[in-house]
Amino acid sequence: MSDVVIAGYVRSPFHPAYRGALAKVRPDDLAANTIKGLIERTGVNAEDIEDVLMGCAFPEGEQGFNIARLVVLLADLPLSIGGMTLNRFCGSSMSAVHYAAGQIAMGAGEVFIAAGVESMSRVPMTGFNPMPNPELAERSAAYIGMGDTAENVARKYELTREAQEAFALKSQQKAGEAMKKGSFKDEIVPFTLPDGTVIETDATPRPQTTAEDLAGLKLSFDENGTVTAGTASPLTDGAAALLVCSADYAAKNGLKVMAKVKSMAISGCAPEIMGIGPVESSKKALQRAGLTIDNIDVIELNEAFSSQSLATIGDLGIDESKINLDGGAIAIGHPLGATGARIVGKAASLLQREGKKYALVTQCIGGGQGIATVLETA
Amino acid sequence: MADATIKKVCVIGAGTMGAGIAAQIANAGVPVLLLDIVPKEGDNRNVIAEGAVKKMLKTDPAPFMGKRAAKLVETGNIEDDLGKVAECDWVVEAIIERLDIKQNLYAKLEEVRKAGTAVSSNTSTIPLENLTDGRSDAFKQDFLITHFFNPPRYMRLIELVAGPQTNPATVDMVREFVDRKLGKTPVDAEDSPGFIANRIGTFWIQAAVNAAFDQGLTVEEADEIAGKPMGVPSTGVFGLVDLVGIDLMPHLMESLTSTLPKDDPYQKIARSEALIESMIEEGYTGRKGKGGFYRINREGGKKVKEAKDLKSGEYRAAARPGIVRGAAKKSLKALISDKGKVGDYAWAIVGPTLSYAASIVPEATKTVLGIDDAMKLGYNWKTGPFEMIDEIGVAHLVERLQADGIPVPEILKMADGRKFYRVEGGKRQYLGTDGEYHDVERAEGVLLLEDIKLSSEPLMANGSAALWDVGDGVVALEFTGKMNALDEQVMKLIQKAIPMVKKDYKALVVYNEGSNFSAGANLGLALFALNIAAWGEVEKSVKGGQDAYKALKYAPFPVVSAPFGMTLGGGCEICLNSDAIQAHAETYIGLVECGVGIIPGWGGCGEMISRWEDNPRHPNGPMPAVSKAFEIISTATVARSASEAKEHGFLRRDDGVSMNRDRLLFDAKQRALAMVDGYEAPEKPEYRLPGPTGKAALELAVESFHRQGKATDHDVTVSGELAYVLSGGNTDVTETLTEADMLKLEREAFMRLVRNPKSQARVEHMLETGKPLRN
Repeated sequence: MSDVVIAGYVRSPFHPAYRGALAKVRPDDLAANTIKGLIERTGVNAEDIEDVLMGCAFPEGEQGFNIARLVVLLADLPLSIGGMTLNRFCGSSMSAVHYAAGQIAMGAGEVFIAAGVESMSRVPMTGFNPMPNPELAERSAAYIGMGDTAENVARKYELTREAQEAFALKSQQKAGEAMKKGSFKDEIVPFTLPDGTVIETDATPRPQTTAEDLAGLKLSFDENGTVTAGTASPLTDGAAALLVCSADYAAKNGLKVMAKVKSMAISGCAPEIMGIGPVESSKKALQRAGLTIDNIDVIELNEAFSSQSLATIGDLGIDESKINLDGGAIAIGHPLGATGARIVGKAASLLQREGKKYALVTQCIGGGQGIATVLETA
Repeated sequence: MADATIKKVCVIGAGTMGAGIAAQIANAGVPVLLLDIVPKEGDNRNVIAEGAVKKMLKTDPAPFMGKRAAKLVETGNIEDDLGKVAECDWVVEAIIERLDIKQNLYAKLEEVRKAGTAVSSNTSTIPLENLTDGRSDAFKQDFLITHFFNPPRYMRLIELVAGPQTNPATVDMVREFVDRKLGKTPVDAEDSPGFIANRIGTFWIQAAVNAAFDQGLTVEEADEIAGKPMGVPSTGVFGLVDLVGIDLMPHLMESLTSTLPKDDPYQKIARSEALIESMIEEGYTGRKGKGGFYRINREGGKKVKEAKDLKSGEYRAAARPGIVRGAAKKSLKALISDKGKVGDYAWAIVGPTLSYAASIVPEATKTVLGIDDAMKLGYNWKTGPFEMIDEIGVAHLVERLQADGIPVPEILKMADGRKFYRVEGGKRQYLGTDGEYHDVERAEGVLLLEDIKLSSEPLMANGSAALWDVGDGVVALEFTGKMNALDEQVMKLIQKAIPMVKKDYKALVVYNEGSNFSAGANLGLALFALNIAAWGEVEKSVKGGQDAYKALKYAPFPVVSAPFGMTLGGGCEICLNSDAIQAHAETYIGLVECGVGIIPGWGGCGEMISRWEDNPRHPNGPMPAVSKAFEIISTATVARSASEAKEHGFLRRDDGVSMNRDRLLFDAKQRALAMVDGYEAPEKPEYRLPGPTGKAALELAVESFHRQGKATDHDVTVSGELAYVLSGGNTDVTETLTEADMLKLEREAFMRLVRNPKSQARVEHMLETGKPLRN
């Protein structure tokens, strides 16, 4: 069986929902543009692609109708390529990577695009028609708001507002630093608006943020809580895409391999503390890879909230200096369906840039899940 | 029509007045160019005008009626953008009150404006003849003064001053525009110092301040007397000065004393007080400064209202003197005749002020109407000076003036005991300076119930409502109860009106001329019924309201509601059940029932869902309309303008808006008449609602608000019932509900809530304090 490798990573610029430059851009257009960029930059022969897997947390409205297949058509890709939309909320596009890896391992294809998209401007979180099962809503926290879970985790782990803000501030500073160095340039596929404006940088980070700014924000979710808009990831519009293929295919076609997929895992937890999802999934993935947390050099931990990030860091015993070297979702943004692909791609590129061996990529997922991937340098 | 020629306006000067005028022009849907100077520093040459628009978006009360209006304001500066004046049909100058600077600007305007573009100044102090000095005849023909009052959106007065050379057609063009588009009442003023309202208003303030110092009254005593009992706003005199800015007083005084003739009575009373001078010096300039004659002291975390002691100059806790009692509270004549402090103070103001106001006809304006309109619309007086004189009695006033050695103006002598206003042959008339009575003429397109009542009797009436024939086959339904509250009597009259209109008339408009359209159901009656647990009666009145409103909705003739001001609860629901709404621009409409622990009970729930379902810009599916209606009703959202009411769905996109309050009845009537031919009552709606899943979704949102501290415990209960009704009770998405089903759900939930002691506490609290109880 051939190894599964990541042989390309791109994403769209990330812009804040509603007020950003991408608010009026259809998510299918944004995803198609990103995927076209991936194919161009990797030089993969599009005819060889088996399937486009598109993660999306609210696949309805403009993200409906099986957006994956529509993006194939929008991007003028060969008609022979399939398209499947996957939904595991925030874990959607990391699941796309997992699915592709599984297919490759099974011999059910050699080249896949694992992508994700979310326009949080155009399709609201919860969708247009939230229709929870009343009985389930009554007896469980299945439909709990994400902010409330962040408060629950903060309470359970006794995380102060100050600690959460210090973490958020660092994320903003790291992202600001990375922007200054041009570290996102290689991964961003510019998007041209109908009026000709070219969007080629992120608008989500706020590198000028100070501790005082954060301390002055109002509580967002609980009048007796600790979580604010400053310690939560912002609503974001964006797309991301990875080229996932067999190591053999990459070698045969001269593709530049970024990392190989070492192990993967899914876990579940109580919905009301979904933020600690990464703990169990990471443990499972590490075990499957035959590694411990100390073997890991680079960690991409999705910052849905400061509180759940800190709780995860504590429970896994992570060395904070290894995480989110170019900043995390609190600064860069969290377009739900796209984030998984972004952080897998980011971790793969960081392994190369930093010359390191192992990376752990993990996320919490609404409803109470965790997802994790271990990458190994190629 | 003349107003059609003003399609774009330029306002120069982005201070409070200029920016506010530009906002009101934008509120009328007319594009406006707002220019100011280029600041000495900084890169942004338009920063002053841009800053003014930004500031207005945060100002409360809001100068803009909606966000779309703000987009109609184009900003710029007078160095780069003056050429754009060529695109404008009217230029309003609202820059600093300096003759040389204004003249300089006009010289430039003369070069860039196209022929026929009206140019007007918002000056309050500079005579027109000086302004146009040095300009061409063509410029002078198009020049006039348009004096707005602050804040321009809310104050209805505009004084128009034309010069001897001004082309009457130009004045008419501007008059039509400010009347129909800006909703203002133009009053013709002569080119005399201070024009009308500020001249009398400043005199009144000065007289009231002087007398308070001279007679040793406290500011609270003075304001209690020189407030409501005098027919002026309850801020009284010191409260008013605090509001407009104490530092403005010396400017007004300076401007009037330097421009009025030496023998003008104002010259005699103009004086400054050491205390006021030192207050201004120390920054105690009123509400905008550190405080004024009143202030709110927040020391120690508590809010304490304090008042200035006029003798010591120190602040102390404000008192409620309660010195105006009995008849003096209700009648101006009794007030000025009261023995002692109250009467002495009132007379010291009223006597000289009325004498002064009467003395400036025709110098400041040609008729008594101009004086009265200016004070009512520019200073919010309930009655104008000549109406006050009629109330006191001309003969009695003359007697008292003579006794006090106050000059008796010519016009009072000429009146010779006659009233200034009378009704003759069903028409209101005023006494002209020629000694003859003349009809009070209304502009074309102005129709007032007030006038109709002079010449006719109601078609039907009871204690809470009346029906009037307003001409052309249209009947008006007027609410007549206290605060236009709605009760069983109103519903009974609606039921009686329907067969009558069907038989003998063509259409019905719901309209009145109170201070507000209606604040909703009569809560006092409701509480009485709740206190004696008369549940059957309560349910009957809910059902009665539902039946009456639905009977109106399905009546075989058009029904148009014409809301204005507060249009709440049941007042909103009658609008929702009408075929169309013609709203005054200043309509504050909302379903506020949740604030008193109940839900809309007269069909408001179903009507709001229908309105949101009909919104073409809305996503499909069973939830969006329900969520939107829930959001608006559960938070007791009140629109702050007709424009905002459209955004909230209280008004439909094609419902009409009248900018001028006096044109509302006429416009509503025209709208109703336009629907008469081929009219068919609306089809009954069918509702496809989510059922329990919808309620679950809405309740999840409410729980989140509860955790955020934005919803109280009882809010959760009330909105739970609302969620149940709006999501269709126990229905399923595969089923449809009829309007009757929705009304039943609404009624049942309403009845469960009124039985809840916490809802009853809310009703009681609202009646006692006028504020919602957050239990």
